[in-house]
Amino acid sequence: MKCSRVLSFLLFTTCGISQPVFAHGAKIDYQQTSAIVVRATFDDGTPMANAQAIVYSPNDLDTPWTKGVTDESGKFTFVPESGLSGNWDVKIRKSGHGKIISIPFEIQKQVVEVNSPIANKDQSLPVVSESDPTVNSAYSWQQKMIMSVSITWGFLGTALFFFRKQT
Amino acid sequence: MHIPDGFVAPSICIAGYGISGGMIWYSLRVIKQDRFSQANIPKSALFTAVFFVASLIHIPAPPPLTSFHLVLNGMMGTLLGYYAFLAIPIGLFFQAVMFQHGGMSTLGLNAVIMGLPAIVAYSLFRLRSKIPQKRQFLAKALAFLSGSSAVLLSALIFASISISTISPEFDADAEKFAIYISLGSYLIQAFIEGLFTVMIVSFLERVKPELLKI
Repeated sequence: MKCSRVLSFLLFTTCGISQPVFAHGAKIDYQQTSAIVVRATFDDGTPMANAQAIVYSPNDLDTPWTKGVTDESGKFTFVPESGLSGNWDVKIRKSGHGKIISIPFEIQKQVVEVNSPIANKDQSLPVVSESDPTVNSAYSWQQKMIMSVSITWGFLGTALFFFRKQT
Repeated sequence: MHIPDGFVAPSICIAGYGISGGMIWYSLRVIKQDRFSQANIPKSALFTAVFFVASLIHIPAPPPLTSFHLVLNGMMGTLLGYYAFLAIPIGLFFQAVMFQHGGMSTLGLNAVIMGLPAIVAYSLFRLRSKIPQKRQFLAKALAFLSGSSAVLLSALIFASISISTISPEFDADAEKFAIYISLGSYLIQAFIEGLFTVMIVSFLERVKPELLKI
């Protein structure tokens, strides 16, 4: 009796009645694309972590195209819609502070050389200009110079005014 | 505590310019009656430079609070009186142009946020004349109150404007929570700026007491 039960169980499990198991299966696809990484910081360079980010596409500046939150390093990444050139506006805000940045994103048509293996084929390459990190992160030497001169003159000039000899 | 460009409706920006314009007009009227304007104008210029630079001094705050920069509008009001409402917009203008703190469209609004509390600080500090000479501790406490109350008042105005102008595309609850958290750092800032005002007032009392007469 026992033997017949074991046999029937083995038959049941091996003869294709069983369903494929999905729970432990894994599949990974990949797609190469170009993303825009925005980094938000406070004035002192501290990352603006967990700030709200809203992206507006070039053809609709009123309706948000996507929304998200910056990570711990103040970064927010999004992949612009392919073929949609123009200025992508990104609005980042946290506790009443924030900034709006306009990012130029262009799809450039590039003809590949004849000798190349994919000859005579047009390629669309996304081009995103990178913002100058010195603009936001630190003051230029000209700014520092103007600041130093104006502050020194402000203090010195005022001190001299008050300690001038009364006539 | 600077409201940036593009985060508030144009009508609010215009209202900010209207209120600050009215305050500047009134301040100029008061200054016109000042007998010592020749001496007070360079003093205002000096403190405008201090106000302009103060925004670059960052003080770290314990997490989850972020660091904050000095505003010193309380000190400005305490030492300059109505001259402060001329000095603050000028300082804000240069901060917006050179350091991108705030913005040109919100200049009037930011002037209201920082200028009106400066006038309140001045009104508080004027009560000093009623304190008897023997009670110097009370005079110091009044200087502290003037310096710190202006920052707190500015923070409250800033928070109310920020909360009331959250655009619908943002998560309003998350933004409100972040604003309430940031009020904690303004509390520390108010304490520091109150102490700073006491130090400046005490120093001027000893070195050049006539500078305190506005």
